[in-house]
Amino acid sequence: MDAIFKDPVLLATVVGTSLPFLSMAVILIFTRHNPMLSSRISVTSIVVAAVCALLNLAKVAGASHPFRFETAWMSSGNFHLTFGYYLDPLSALMLTIVAVIACLVQIYSLGYMSGDPGYSRYYAFQSLFAWAMMNMVIASTLLQLFIFWELVGLASYMLIGFYYEKFSASQAGKKAFVMTRVGDVGFFLGIIILTLGFGNLGIPDLNNAPGTGTITTGFITMAALLVFCGVVGKSAQFPLITWLPDAMEGPTPVSALLHSATMVAAGVYVFSRIFPFFAASPNAMLIALAIGTVTMLLASTMAMTTYDLKQVWAYSTVSQLGMMVMSLAAGGYFAGVFHLTTHAGFKALLFLCSGIFIHEYHTNDMRVIGKQGGRKQLVPMICITVGALALSGVPPFSGFFSKEAILGALNAQANPIWLFAGLFGAFLTAYYSFRLIFHLLFPKGGIEEKHAVHEMDSHGHKEEHHGGLFWAMAVPVMILACVTVVLGFAEHSLQGYIMAGGGAVKHASTAATGGAAHGVVGHELLVILGISAGLVGIILAWFEYGRKGASRNGFLSYFPPVWKLFDARWYMDAFFRWFLDTAIYSGLTSIFTRNDRRIIDGGIDGICFFTETGGRLFSFMQSGMLQYNLLIMVLVAGLAMLFFIV
Amino acid sequence: MNSLNTYLIISAFLFSIGLVGVLQRRNLIGMLISVELMLNGANLNFMAFNRFLTPEPVVGQIIALAIMGLAAAEAAIGLSIILALYRKMHSINIEQAQRLKG
Repeated sequence: MDAIFKDPVLLATVVGTSLPFLSMAVILIFTRHNPMLSSRISVTSIVVAAVCALLNLAKVAGASHPFRFETAWMSSGNFHLTFGYYLDPLSALMLTIVAVIACLVQIYSLGYMSGDPGYSRYYAFQSLFAWAMMNMVIASTLLQLFIFWELVGLASYMLIGFYYEKFSASQAGKKAFVMTRVGDVGFFLGIIILTLGFGNLGIPDLNNAPGTGTITTGFITMAALLVFCGVVGKSAQFPLITWLPDAMEGPTPVSALLHSATMVAAGVYVFSRIFPFFAASPNAMLIALAIGTVTMLLASTMAMTTYDLKQVWAYSTVSQLGMMVMSLAAGGYFAGVFHLTTHAGFKALLFLCSGIFIHEYHTNDMRVIGKQGGRKQLVPMICITVGALALSGVPPFSGFFSKEAILGALNAQANPIWLFAGLFGAFLTAYYSFRLIFHLLFPKGGIEEKHAVHEMDSHGHKEEHHGGLFWAMAVPVMILACVTVVLGFAEHSLQGYIMAGGGAVKHASTAATGGAAHGVVGHELLVILGISAGLVGIILAWFEYGRKGASRNGFLSYFPPVWKLFDARWYMDAFFRWFLDTAIYSGLTSIFTRNDRRIIDGGIDGICFFTETGGRLFSFMQSGMLQYNLLIMVLVAGLAMLFFIV
Repeated sequence: MNSLNTYLIISAFLFSIGLVGVLQRRNLIGMLISVELMLNGANLNFMAFNRFLTPEPVVGQIIALAIMGLAAAEAAIGLSIILALYRKMHSINIEQAQRLKG
């Protein structure tokens, strides 16, 4: 206990990462019926956590080696399970991202969720979510990470299904939970295999393992692929994409948190956490690269057809996560982590801006919001445009820098197809982002006059929106917009920070990229290609949705089957449905049902039948006369006595 | 005359009378009285063995006292069962109480 107070880093870590849990407990047990107090407790604790995380970020920068605090949890023979904290530059950075975004989202929620009947419950779950994610980030062993990984899943299940009285919301929560669980089975198998084959689950030990030559490459490939299953589930990679777009059923701030810093970021984070381990297996890296690419392209195409504001950003999250996985799998360790960082900023920004629109106009449809005068909302409109520019990779916004870094990593691959896929993805991203922006800015047929009248009539109503509650929503958005503008320029200092401690990481990264000395295209050309991919997308969107007299249908509407394919999410949900119906319900479960009916139920029925029939058959022996029974007893006792005496 | 065998014979006689009574009488109260006879036979045995074989520790007498207590309790329970049965059947003939007949 003393050690905690002697070491400021440990103190900050313990305080920062356990306060949200305490606040959840206090809210659930004591202050449920006082929503005001609940939100204050939760926001205070997350602010303290954010400050602690920033302190740690600074402390880790000055330290020569990562901080590692561990205690034995259980041990058996030579095998020890430890619990503790492992703070290296990566986890300190991620901890800061999580704490800061969670903090901003909770402040934003003060406005967005005000008046909701489940206000206290909402803040309790938000605290749980932040707590689980922060502890996952600083976990020192893979098993500890897995435990908090599941808690993150639980918290997001509760928040996605927050409006549980709505059928679609509870269904969406269930879908998210079950689909990520499919991947987690693989993750857990991976942990078991690592325990059996390697005997040590410590994250730094795993990362140093490939260099020592104690385990074979085949074993690493198997373990890495199994762990990658968890990444696929959590980060909504192909084929487990479809839970994330449905997760929109939760309140918008939850989506912002879920899509930027927590939940889906967890998958990519785990990938980068044991990156040197992955990098030791070229086969696993290649499979991850392919999955990331497929995910990115599929999700981008899906985003081109939907009119739901939040769903566009959801698909874009999936595609950006695919891009991070691509980058990591191509050996671009820093590029992936950097994109994770910038993406957390601008994706939270995009969702929070959309939340202001949704709060104001009570609809998710971008056409309706545009028609009702969405562009008159200056703060969210400017901020959402900043976010979309960052997402499209336009300089000088943060997304540009991280996307260039990723394209650089892809460029180092021998096969140019990955680079072209990345560029095509960047083009699609810019196109669908600005399709949305232009829908908001220049709605078809202009802004409806009816709404202007309505606005004048309900003047008092409008003023309420620009009171304290509005600013509770607007200020976090503006902070995020500023971060999005400046974060890109911190690339080099961030790179120095991340790569400082990790010898294994640096080694693995250069090994995986094959030296990165020569690329498919030159460096300057790559920058130009990257910018132009984004700009072409924006121009195409302008041509189709922005300019005067534009059709506002998009080129896809000329190919109805393709539109339908994209709109139906490549029939992935239909396929899952079909797969469940045929393989699981009518295959596996019907066998189990038959086993239950025939063998278990039938066996019990048989025993009952046997007993009953036997009783009926032998009931003639029972006369009901007490004294005959007694007589037999006496006779038997007498015979037994004779037997023993003689 | 005053030997162990005499007492053993008397007690065996008592026990047999009780046994026959229990098995033969159709009246429930008669059966109860017969059970008391059997208990007394056993009691007599204990007393006789105590008196003739190991006079010093009075274990046999203590057991006899315990059996007397037991007999009183048994009589109380038996009589209450008989009373309950009488309320239901309006008879204390054992031949009437044959509901468990198969």
